Amino acid sequence: MGLRDDVARVLIPEDELQARVAELGQEINALYTDGDRPLLVCVLKGAFIFLADLTRHLEMRHEVDFMEISSYGAGTESTGVVRILLDLEQSIEGRHVLIVEDIVDSGRTLAYMARNLRTRGPASLRICALLSKPSRREVDVELDWVGFEVPNEFVIGYGLDYAEEYRNLPFIGVLKENVYAMSG
Amino acid sequence: MGNRKIPAEIEQVLLDETAIQARVRQLGARISADYAEIDDLVLVGVLKGAFIFLSDLARSLTIPHEVDFIALSSYNKGVVSTGAVRLIMDTRSSVTGRNVLIVEDILDTGYTLDYLIRIFQARNPASLRTCVFVSKPDRHQVEVPIDYLGFEVPDEWLVGYGLDYADRFRTLPYIGVLKQEVYE
Repeated sequence: MGLRDDVARVLIPEDELQARVAELGQEINALYTDGDRPLLVCVLKGAFIFLADLTRHLEMRHEVDFMEISSYGAGTESTGVVRILLDLEQSIEGRHVLIVEDIVDSGRTLAYMARNLRTRGPASLRICALLSKPSRREVDVELDWVGFEVPNEFVIGYGLDYAEEYRNLPFIGVLKENVYAMSG
Repeated sequence: MGNRKIPAEIEQVLLDETAIQARVRQLGARISADYAEIDDLVLVGVLKGAFIFLSDLARSLTIPHEVDFIALSSYNKGVVSTGAVRLIMDTRSSVTGRNVLIVEDILDTGYTLDYLIRIFQARNPASLRTCVFVSKPDRHQVEVPIDYLGFEVPDEWLVGYGLDYADRFRTLPYIGVLKQEVYE
């Protein structure tokens, strides 16, 4: 099978990943109550697997909603401003919002998304990221929960893709250099 | 995920987590075998309900594939007979000439899935199949081909594993029957 053959090495094995997701779930359980009714916001596509596993650990009343964004193009990337293709189904005014992210790289898009959602007057806004690459950060963005800090390598699996492939690997792996060098 | 308390609004657990995960693995094995010789498989998940099933199903596949999403909303009660739905977010990539597998959490009247099949067929995919986690045969109003089915279930209000009641209970790791007094 091609999928696993392209993995140079496993960075975070499945059992470690699942244990950490469960821990994050417990920490989130400790923070919110049923009355808070937090809304978990997932920016597609990368975070959907993390969201599916994380929310299955949550015990308080909560809801999930999705956003889909696309880049405006090369010239706008430094601002992090993106085009919203699918907005939240519901208003977040007065709601406790928790953004669920797969990976925080430069942080530009996430910082913009947080700014965008803050303008809508949520009661609180927090961020839970499974992975963070601190060495790549270009803007400050406060992460309330981080699953793992990872080195600056091409990571795939558990929602993270290369050219739309490998998202379904149940672990976080490092992609072999020849895979992305070939088509680069 | 197994030690989460069952909410008081749940009458009984219809499909527990172990049964669900075992069935997803079976479906994943069948789909992996059926598409072993076929390139360019796209799983299209229907938001919001299918995201949990899709996250588990994709991880059980051993073949390369892409994941995409669509989001729908209904127009109003008046158009229920044609099943016409408003596509509020289309797939990110084109499905023309590709092998499409629509992934749905539940088949109820069948109108929505029937409509989706028709709009995807019009885009000339190489093949088009459906994968539905639970089906309520007693509720079907229109015949819809299901290529991969998780479970047939009785006509009761089910929640969990993507299924909701007013956005609640969607992320339970099992499928439960909602108490009648909750929705009446």
